[in-house]
Order: sequence, then structure tokens, then C-alpha cells
Amino acid sequence: MTLTIESPPVADPASAPDTPARTQRRRPRIGMWFGITWLGGLVFCIVFASVLPFIRLYDTKIRVGGKAGRYNLGPGWTAWLGTDSSSHDVFARCIYGARVTLTVGVLSTVIGLVVGGLLGIASGYFQGWTDRVGSIITDSLLALPPLLLALLLVYRMDDLKDVYSWLGWLDRQWEITLTLGILAIAPFARIARAQTIALRDREFVLAARSLGAKSGRVIAREILPNLIPAMLTVAVTGLGILVAAEGALAFLGLGVERPLTWGKMISDGQRDLARAWWATIFPCLFLFLTVISFNLIGDQLARRFDIREAAI
Amino acid sequence: MRYFLQRLFQFVIVFFLVTFGVLVFMRIGLNKPGDPARTMLGGTATDEQIKAVTDRFHLNSNYLTQYWYWLRGMFTLDFGYSQTNNLDVTTYLKPRVLPTLFLGIYATVGALVIAVPVAVYQAYRRDSAFDKIGSFFSFALVSIPALVLAPLLSYLFIIRLQWFPRLASKIYPWESLSGHFKNFLLPSIVLMLPLAAVYVRLLRADMVQTLQADFVTLASAKGVSPRRVLWSHALRNSLFTLLTNVGVQLGGLVGGALVVEQYFNIKGMGSLLVVGILSSDLFTVQSVSAILVATVVTVNLLVDLSYAVIDPRIRHARALS
Repeated sequence: MTLTIESPPVADPASAPDTPARTQRRRPRIGMWFGITWLGGLVFCIVFASVLPFIRLYDTKIRVGGKAGRYNLGPGWTAWLGTDSSSHDVFARCIYGARVTLTVGVLSTVIGLVVGGLLGIASGYFQGWTDRVGSIITDSLLALPPLLLALLLVYRMDDLKDVYSWLGWLDRQWEITLTLGILAIAPFARIARAQTIALRDREFVLAARSLGAKSGRVIAREILPNLIPAMLTVAVTGLGILVAAEGALAFLGLGVERPLTWGKMISDGQRDLARAWWATIFPCLFLFLTVISFNLIGDQLARRFDIREAAI
Repeated sequence: MRYFLQRLFQFVIVFFLVTFGVLVFMRIGLNKPGDPARTMLGGTATDEQIKAVTDRFHLNSNYLTQYWYWLRGMFTLDFGYSQTNNLDVTTYLKPRVLPTLFLGIYATVGALVIAVPVAVYQAYRRDSAFDKIGSFFSFALVSIPALVLAPLLSYLFIIRLQWFPRLASKIYPWESLSGHFKNFLLPSIVLMLPLAAVYVRLLRADMVQTLQADFVTLASAKGVSPRRVLWSHALRNSLFTLLTNVGVQLGGLVGGALVVEQYFNIKGMGSLLVVGILSSDLFTVQSVSAILVATVVTVNLLVDLSYAVIDPRIRHARALS
């Protein structure tokens, strides 16, 4: 998927009853299990990459007849997915690429979830001016095309850390994590706001308030637990989007350089697509399968928690 | 009306906030006098050149003054100056607008042309084989990033089958119509397929709900032909989410265009921006992103307006709140 912005849940007069539960239950869960298997296998390989015998180090050169040449091996028994332009093992590089990609994705989702969630809850709960300021912030974040905002942030952070010494801890990976985290704020804020508005007038919230509970307590004890399903669903689907965005950034030349990422592999390989398709197509497949896995799990969660797609 | 004015006001604030933010962010950290001009002109610039550019664009004043001068220029279509091309931004932005516009229009129109009939038929024959296959493909396509689809399709159609040329050459339809389509078909498809899949999913979901509504049953019972029920009664009442999303997807479309233009070597606004950002081309980045922000904001405003036109219920519901 291209980097999409989640649509705001509209104040919707057509909130007719959802499709009958019968047809929802009947759908098999093959998809979700596929997603879990793929991601589980990937994470397993990432964690034990240096121990597992069938995964080479990402910069080991494979020599054929004592020589290391460009694309010297196609997919086969020696190198499962072939070798790339500097005769590295594509399979090993895909696994090591996943390490960076998934770390960045998960961390940035957490940033977006916490900041966006708090912003959304505050907007939805206090309304009035808080809401207005909150919605100006989210609208501003959504007004620039996300990928453009990301390019701008990453590139300028590169410069800024040379100027201001207190930013010295920023390396590329942190820059990208922060950037994608900022991108994720707006969608999370919107969902949290919509859900909070729906919850704040429910009886149990009113009961807590009339018993004299302070705003902080009402939010923490009554609203927050009820937000978890929706936020979890959005987080899983959002992970897929962020992973794709990270790939696009790397493709445009602002990726994590060392060790490597899928986006970088794709952009490196695509110039020689005619000569060695495997160096490009396999990282593409890894990226695709990872994104679709997150979507499949997210879809199942949405079904489980009965969240309409329009609200995501 | 009050609601609309409120939205308008908010969008205007957002526009100024974001464009000002971009300006500040592009210059923050360039603290020494002459720094912004030096970044713009590159390391080889002489002191006179730097002074000339600094004076011309008031680069040593505060951010607000700079913003004011730049904004004033924007309204007279003077977008500033770009050092990489040694040209006014306006001059070399012009030929870049159309290719991106072609891409965006082909992708959006194509996506709607595919998505609406497919979604309507899927909803009409719910749980049929067609519906299941359609759902499967739309789910798979939603998950394909442009970055994956572009190499896959270009390997298949450009390298293996050689249906399309490798590099974009003839760009405008008035130069060569077939050349134009050969250049734009594949990039447009890369943007179009995921978009179409999103639309299919949204429209199908809404359509399924609408078809269960009482007025649909009533219309069928009165003997209105299924085709008419489907296309005029049900479709109109299901367009809501789809419409919201056409606006929302615009940002994603621009993001996809950045990747696709870079990949297929199309000289459009997207590749202009990428190069602009990577070479700290202050005015290119500011002006092009301002154009994009204005577009996104305007489209969202229009979408907001069109709810009320499509669905009178909204007009009243919002008037009450």
C-alpha cells in the first residue's frame, strides 16, 4: 500500500447495523495464521541470525571458483536467493534487513501510539479549546504528504545534529524512527479522539464522574482500557504502513545505511533488474509478505473487536 | 454555513502554519549570517554572490519577515530562486507540473472506473465466487507498497515482455499519443491498483449495508428493476465513505508519486522535490510543498462541502450540532 492516511471516522448517519455476525464468523482464519507464521519465522531468524547455520553474515562474500563477481550466483542451493552486486547472499541480507526495518517500525508505532493517543484522548475528553488545538495539530501533520514530511524531517535532522551538539546521539536509525513516529501521531490521535468522544457520555463514565472521580482517574480507569482494542488494531495495521514507508525512504536515498534495509536493497538492485532479477524481486517479496501479514492480523483483530473499516 | 466557515478558517490556519513550519525547518540551524545563502549556492559561491542572494530574499532578517516576502512572491507566482538549476523556481517548475498531474489523474480516474463496478457487483452478489475472488485480490493489492509493485511490474512488462520503453521520453500527449501512453501506463498502474483496491473495499462494505436497508427492499418490491435499484438507489447512498477517502488518499498518492517518478524516471514534481530536499534547495522545497499543501487542504474542504450536497441528512445533523 502507498502511505495512506487513515480516514476520520465521520459523524455518520448511515450507521446501520453491521453485517450479520454469522457471515463474519464463517470466514476462516487462514490469513491470520499465515501472518503470524511469517512474522514469527522472520523474528526467529532475526533474533538467532548469528547462530543459525543457514544464515550467512550479511557481508560475507560468496566466492565461486575462488572469485567474487557481480551477481555470480542465481537462486539455488548455495545461495538460496542468489547473490547481489557484491556477491553477498541475498537471503542473509533480507534477514538482516528485516532487523532494522522491524525495529524501526515497532519503535515508531510506540511513539505514535503514546503521543497520538494522549493527544486524541485529551481532545476528545476535554473538547472545547483543547480539541481545537489538537485538531489543528493533527490537520497540520496530515496536510503535507506523509512521505514528503518524512523526507524533510530525516534530511534536516541529518544537518541539525552537526550544528547542535545535544542532538549528537541521533543516528540514521533514530532519525527514521522519530520521523515515522511523528507521522503516526495524527492517525492515532484521530482514532483516540473519536473513540473517547463515543465513550465519554456512556453511563459508566458518567457514574464515575458523578461519584467525584477526577478527570485523570476517569481517563486512566474508565476510558483508557476501552480504547485498547481499537488502538491495538490500528497499531498492527499501521505497522504495515510504516514498514512500507521506511522502505520508500530508503529507496529515495534516506535509509539506514548500515547494515542495510529492504528499501536500500531494492534501490541498489533495480538498476540491474534485467541482469539479476533476484537481487530486487526477493527483497520486494519480503517487504510485501511482511506488510500483508500485518494487514491480515489487523483485519482479524478488527473483525474480532468489531471495528468498522471506515473508522480505521 | 457556520460549520463550513469554521472549517475554512481552520484550513487557512493549517496552511499558514505548515508553510511557515517548512520555512523555519528548512533554515533552522543555519545561524551564521550568510549561511542560508551559502547553503543555497553551494560551497563555491563568492562573497558577492552570497550577499546578492541574501539581500534579494531578505535571508538575514527574522523568519517572519522572510515568510512574508516569500508568501508575497507566491501570490504573484514568483516562487523564488533555485541554485541547483540557476533559474527561478517558477521557470523550471512549469514543465514539471503536468507529468505529475497526468499520473494523479490517470491513477484516480482509473481506480474509480475499476473500483465502482467491481464493488457494486461484489456487494450485489455477496458471498459468490466473484465476491470472494474480488475480496482476496483487493486485500492483496491494498498491501502492496508502490516500492514493491514498481519493480515487479517493470520486470515483467519492460524487461521480460518489452511492451514498454525503459526510459520515459515523449511525455506530452500532443507530441505523440502512443508514446505518452507507453510512458504513463505502467507508472499509473502502479499508483492505481492499490488505490482501486482501497476503493473496492470501502465501497463494498458500505454497499452491503445499504442493500440491507428498508428503502432498497421497498424499491424492489415496487418493481423497480434491479439495475436501477443498484445503480441509482443504492450506489448514491453508499458513496459517502468512498468520497471522504478520495480526498484522504491524495496525500498517499503524492507519496506514491515520489517513489514512482523516481523509479520510472519521470521528470515531475515528485522527483523535483526529492532532488530539492536532498540539495537543500530552500525555495524549491518551500514553494512546491506549499502548492501541495494548498491542494490537499482545498480538496479536503471540497470533500467536506460535498457531503452536504450528496446527503441532506448531514446538512441538518451538522446544523443542529
